[in-house]
Amino acid sequence: MNAHLLMRWVDRVVLTAAILVFLFIVLFPFYWIVLSSFTPKYELFTIPPRYWFSTFTFENYQALANSIPLDRYFVNSLLFAAGASAVSVTVAFLASYGLARIQFRGANVVFIVFVMSLALPQVGGLVPLFELFKNVGLINTYHGLVILMSSLVLPFTIWILVPFLRQIPYEIEEAAIIDGASLYQIFWFVTLPIMQPALVTMLIINFIIAWNELVYPLVFATSGVNKTLSVGLVELAVQPTAGGGRPWDLLSAMSVVMIAPILILVLFFQRLIVSGLTRGAIK
Amino acid sequence: MSQLPTTFVPIADRMARFRLTQRVRRSVILISLLLLPAIALRLFTAVYPFFNTVWLSFHDWNPAFPPQQFVGLKNFQTLTRDIAVTSSVSFTILFVGISTLLEIMLGLAIALILNRAFFGRGVVRAVNLIPWAIPMVVAAIGFRWMYDAQYGIINDLLYRTVGLKVAWLVDFWGARAAVIATNVWKSTPFVGLVLLAALQGIPQDLYEAGRVDGTNRISAFFYITLPLITPQIVTIGLFMVVWQLAAFDLVFAMTGGGPGFATQVLAYRIYQVAFTALNFGYASAISMVLFVVVGIASVIGLALFRKVEVSL
Repeated sequence: MNAHLLMRWVDRVVLTAAILVFLFIVLFPFYWIVLSSFTPKYELFTIPPRYWFSTFTFENYQALANSIPLDRYFVNSLLFAAGASAVSVTVAFLASYGLARIQFRGANVVFIVFVMSLALPQVGGLVPLFELFKNVGLINTYHGLVILMSSLVLPFTIWILVPFLRQIPYEIEEAAIIDGASLYQIFWFVTLPIMQPALVTMLIINFIIAWNELVYPLVFATSGVNKTLSVGLVELAVQPTAGGGRPWDLLSAMSVVMIAPILILVLFFQRLIVSGLTRGAIK
Repeated sequence: MSQLPTTFVPIADRMARFRLTQRVRRSVILISLLLLPAIALRLFTAVYPFFNTVWLSFHDWNPAFPPQQFVGLKNFQTLTRDIAVTSSVSFTILFVGISTLLEIMLGLAIALILNRAFFGRGVVRAVNLIPWAIPMVVAAIGFRWMYDAQYGIINDLLYRTVGLKVAWLVDFWGARAAVIATNVWKSTPFVGLVLLAALQGIPQDLYEAGRVDGTNRISAFFYITLPLITPQIVTIGLFMVVWQLAAFDLVFAMTGGGPGFATQVLAYRIYQVAFTALNFGYASAISMVLFVVVGIASVIGLALFRKVEVSL
């Protein structure tokens, strides 16, 4: 009995220690970035580094806003992510409805082909896409970027939505048919409301993925009118500086600007996001 | 007599058949309308570029000096002797292989922890979502700052604890380790999330039955938990491999492929050759190498998946 109690006690201690280590590893980088962003530049470069706020300041954010068009990048990121999220979920919903609800030969094949096209590496198609976009005048346009990004997340979105639609019993729509609703009425007034949680989930997830996207804006937003935060951040990080050092004051401030909206989304929609992300893996 | 069959077909039946064909035709139109936008998007931005890249890989093409020239296998001969490409192939495989292995092992550990009952579990699960949600470029830059040889926090901690300082991003293996560690930090929680969902899908009575048969915690893990979530492990493993093979934002923002070619990955090399050197034909040839690597990984992954699905 005593041995049993001891074992339970050891088990609790090990579990608690594991949780604390996990929290430390995940959260420490965020603490460090936030701390750096509120520390004046001259105090960032001290040996040893300071582990706690010494002089709290907003000057890094001010310097950042003075050196790059931060508000512009922010709005661009917002438009890009919102547009890509809305278009991808709309297109994916239409396709998923066709694949899950209307029985036709080859529906499953089409579904698998869609999902498998996830494996085509994005970077491998950049050159032809760049030429194509140049020829049709889509470079440095919002809709060009939105088209690209929507397509990128489309296979994943369909992968999540089709099983979700298949779970909804036919009977609900059949009842509507019996009541004399047309196909379009069913779509708008029956299916759409039932699908709402799944659609909202995918809207949020795709927004986050697009907000974080680097490659497409990097290649297809070359002029600066629709550069996103991710591109601005990377430019700041890789541009050559006198002395070879990095502007860690600006970089940490910009990182905080970039992750703040995402953290708010995660805080509010944690449950939805988790349910969406894990739906693909479990049946 | 010969007229009988047609006249005997009941009118209602013929009407029904007419309606049926009309219905089928309508649903064909409907299906096309519903699927068309999705198919158009994928054809336009994924399938067409893929085939065009295959075509371009046999050409010499610099957009500044327009005419494309057919050069046969020249690009492929060049890339076998190009150290930037050969070393990036080996590091890509190393990077993705080690990352995925660590992500699955650590992700499983996270899933097992988060599946236990403890105070504040909801908060810890929310924290687990954060690394997935933040941009890779932010992770890359944050860690680059922490890995800084002089002012970085990691060296300071190392120095205080074991009296060691490593020039992380300057040293060949130091840079490789740093890049892989950052990637694992960013991606493991997502794997943990998916595996946690898999764990939650295991019926509890299996564990009770196991306890009756005398399993302890360790044998229950190896004989009940692990076999039951193997399909999900293979699925997420394949997903991570394919996805990580094609990504280059981490390397781009953290090391630029350096020092030398130590952390150069194929995807970043393609980007550089295409959009810095403007050598579109050659970049397409390197893309072909990436396609082959992704193809091989997918075939192995799908074969594995079929095997574990069948054995269950």
